[in-house]
Amino acid sequence: LNGRSRRPKKWDIGKLIYMDNIDPSDCIKRWKGEDSHDENELSDEDAEGEDFFKKKDEADFKLDKFDSDLEKFKPHFETIKQLITKWSTVDTIKDRFVGTPIARSGD
Amino acid sequence: MSSSRFVVFQGARNFRLRVILSTLSGRPIKIEKIRSDDMNPGLRDHEVSFLRLIEAVTNGSIIEISYTGTTVIFKPGIITGGTYTHNCAGAKPVGYFVEPMLYLAPFSKKKFSILFRGITASHSDAGIEAIKWGLMPIMEKFGVRECALHTLKRGSPPLGGGEVHLIVDSLIAQPITMHALEIPPISSIRGVAYSTRVSPSMVNRMIDGAKEVLKRVGCEVNITADVWRGENSGKSPGWGLTLVAENKSGWRYFTENIGGAGDIPEDVGREVAYELLEEISKSGVVGRTQLPLAIVYMVIGKEDIGRLRINQDQIDEKFIWLLRDIKKIFDTEVFLKPVDDISSRDLIATIKGVGFTNTSKKIA
Repeated sequence: LNGRSRRPKKWDIGKLIYMDNIDPSDCIKRWKGEDSHDENELSDEDAEGEDFFKKKDEADFKLDKFDSDLEKFKPHFETIKQLITKWSTVDTIKDRFVGTPIARSGD
Repeated sequence: MSSSRFVVFQGARNFRLRVILSTLSGRPIKIEKIRSDDMNPGLRDHEVSFLRLIEAVTNGSIIEISYTGTTVIFKPGIITGGTYTHNCAGAKPVGYFVEPMLYLAPFSKKKFSILFRGITASHSDAGIEAIKWGLMPIMEKFGVRECALHTLKRGSPPLGGGEVHLIVDSLIAQPITMHALEIPPISSIRGVAYSTRVSPSMVNRMIDGAKEVLKRVGCEVNITADVWRGENSGKSPGWGLTLVAENKSGWRYFTENIGGAGDIPEDVGREVAYELLEEISKSGVVGRTQLPLAIVYMVIGKEDIGRLRINQDQIDEKFIWLLRDIKKIFDTEVFLKPVDDISSRDLIATIKGVGFTNTSKKIA
């Protein structure tokens, strides 16, 4: 039993999407396995940990409200600094383009 | 008793989409608790303006807004289209109003020819080029071939003064059933950099910034400079960039942004370029901004199974809200299953169309 509870449950996103009682942001977290702590576990943790989670939740909530209120068309992007570090090389998506980058590496 | 006839929603989220889905399905909706906890509760100016627009392009729609503006009852009429001029009220740009029209226009009785007046660009809503090069190609894929958005005047925020003309000449009974299981490789990147009432050098500096990032990708990059002067350039200075990655099959990915006060053109160019790379990495056959349109068209398709390859990263909160709203109104679910390829994290979204037929269309 112990072993089972420690391993995060694998959720089927197809089902999660239509579980109306679960908030969409939670659906995503559960599906990606970020939500391995359930509430009981959380309360057992030290105060610092709890604070950390609270803060994050509040931030999420704000973002959520902001997004829903404005009905933004533009999708969410990381900050420009993060994007620059992530895309210092385009290797991960080079198979999405026709030819050239691969040909260049072969030269 | 009477409230059970409505599909009931809560909150201001997906406001336009809910009204659109209601209009397409013919099912009345009731939206409650619109910003009921807000200091300034109820509908915003742009939302009321949007409802007016819906009233204008439909016949027989009944809209009831409660005294406080926090509850809206909407009973849809038939989509009639026609010629109309809409002054975009509130702080929202024309894109906010044009975008939902794309969902309705092909299923109208008469052709859509709507002139929108107002701001033509913003940080958060669809820009003119985004609609022209990003959303209309999606419509084309579903059989809506004759649609165009003409820019008569540009109008940068805050004062606006722009004018765009939306024309949708294709009237179809229902969208084509989509089977897009492969992602074709991108063959070129195009873009438009525009400016109104500022030095044309801003445009070139943006292009330089974007090219600097995109040259590493190795495919052809072609960004057009589009400088607007005089009468047709609106009331405020402004500039912005839209980048579009396209493949030979006609699918496109795009990102856009505009310059704000104190922004450096090269930085905006670079940012949009980096975002394009990011968007490509997070996209399946369509990008995240195009996904709702594609999904809705698939839902209202004929009673056949449509398939669309999507990326795992496209499943976000917005996507879940979209599917839940679709289920509430059309009572249809989207099935997701992983692709056969183990090396790929993509999913296939399988949707059975609801067998929608365009009841507004005249039978010739």
